[in-house]
Amino acid sequence: MRAFLLCVLLAACGAEDAPKVLRLATTTSTRDSGLLEFLLPPFEKKENVEVQVVAVGTGQALELGKRGDADLVLVHARSLEDEFVAKGHGSDRRDVMYNDYVVLGPAADPAGAKGKGAVEAFRLIAATRAPFVSRGDKSGTHIRETQLWEKAGGVPKGEDFHLDAGQGMGACLVMAGEKDAYILADRGTWLAFKSKVDLVVLVEGDKLLFNEYGAILPTHEKADRAVGAKLLDYLTSAEGQRRIGEFRVEGERLFHPVGEGQ
Amino acid sequence: MDFLWGGVREAVRLLLHGDATTYHATWVSLLCTILAITLAALLAVPYGAWLGLYRPRGSRAQVFALRVAMSVPTVVIGLLVFGFLSRSGPLGALDLLYTKAAIVVGLVMLAFPLLASLAHGAAASLDRRVVETALTLGAGRWRALLKSLGEARVQLAAAYLAAFGRCFTELGIAITVGGNLKMRTRTLPSSIQLELGRGDFAAALAPGFLLLLLAAVAAMLTHRVSREALR
Repeated sequence: MRAFLLCVLLAACGAEDAPKVLRLATTTSTRDSGLLEFLLPPFEKKENVEVQVVAVGTGQALELGKRGDADLVLVHARSLEDEFVAKGHGSDRRDVMYNDYVVLGPAADPAGAKGKGAVEAFRLIAATRAPFVSRGDKSGTHIRETQLWEKAGGVPKGEDFHLDAGQGMGACLVMAGEKDAYILADRGTWLAFKSKVDLVVLVEGDKLLFNEYGAILPTHEKADRAVGAKLLDYLTSAEGQRRIGEFRVEGERLFHPVGEGQ
Repeated sequence: MDFLWGGVREAVRLLLHGDATTYHATWVSLLCTILAITLAALLAVPYGAWLGLYRPRGSRAQVFALRVAMSVPTVVIGLLVFGFLSRSGPLGALDLLYTKAAIVVGLVMLAFPLLASLAHGAAASLDRRVVETALTLGAGRWRALLKSLGEARVQLAAAYLAAFGRCFTELGIAITVGGNLKMRTRTLPSSIQLELGRGDFAAALAPGFLLLLLAAVAAMLTHRVSREALR
């Protein structure tokens, strides 16, 4: 019996070449939303590649690319991406898709942010000193939050209404719900938490809330650029773009192909 | 190697320049830990010693329960405390979630079974004659208990230090109920986790060094104290 199982196992292994491993460093939003599970299997099958997804904050994802621990990075913080390429850590940056952020808060909306523009909403939050939960973790979302604060007159660092949480999107949403606080969140995570957290969407659709995802090929000698380029080509190909547009979470579309609606 | 060495140098530089966030996290860690283990010890030591000295009915089941409680992972303790302190939980009105007090509550729950269990062991291994003499001389049961705690002080000090080590390096409770809020509830372990998540290796090493240093001091003291106990 044991010998038989061993034979089966060997046959199974020998049936095709062991797949090449590709390590993709990306942000938690692409993994947690389920997009990658929807997008990658056809690619893995066609190219005989096994994609290992390391989902971390944008800062750490770029760091992994810089150190040669990733063959492709897929992140969303344009300023950091451009710096990464400018410093020679990566090349061939391409737009892959975009989604958007929403400003959430308690239904009572003590700052009166509902329906305002994103910057105006932030200014009102600071003016009324309503509690605001900040990601504080150098993630793409945190960077956008910082940019909006700067446009609204400066990050209220150290103020008692500015809660610097230093945690992931989900944990911060729970915290904002508990504390009746305002928060900036990506729409994907928000949809997943909507039924569990006591917050409502107050600002959406503002151009400043659009969130572009870019993919970059790291230049580190340890990175496998050939296999990384294959995935980059797939993501930006007609097929990859079509699948990105087809992806739905609870009937809602989370990611939009490049160039659509912009 | 360059990466590691550069990180170490940068971390030392951060510490020497008095990085406020790291030092505040050290303060939060020390404050919460010492408060929690002291509170826990006030309850757990008499309780454990009572079980060990007088072996009341049901004491075996209680000792077993303490052992089981000791193996509860800290994230599960965090989860329980979160459930109670959340706005929709029974103690939500206290508004304690994401405060140092919430961390202390969690750490007390972590330290209590450990301290009670060690106090039980210390009391059970005492020479019975101490208690019996005290009792025959007319001391009440609590007086006799206090007397034997005095006899077991070295083991108790070792237990206190062990609880310090466990609470001081704890991450699950600090994140779940403390919320890792900067300059408020951020502890040394949660700073390390955060800085690593931000991709800043050097900034993660700085609190790492402090944590290692203070935990090593506690371990050294424990070693010293328990050697004393063997004499």
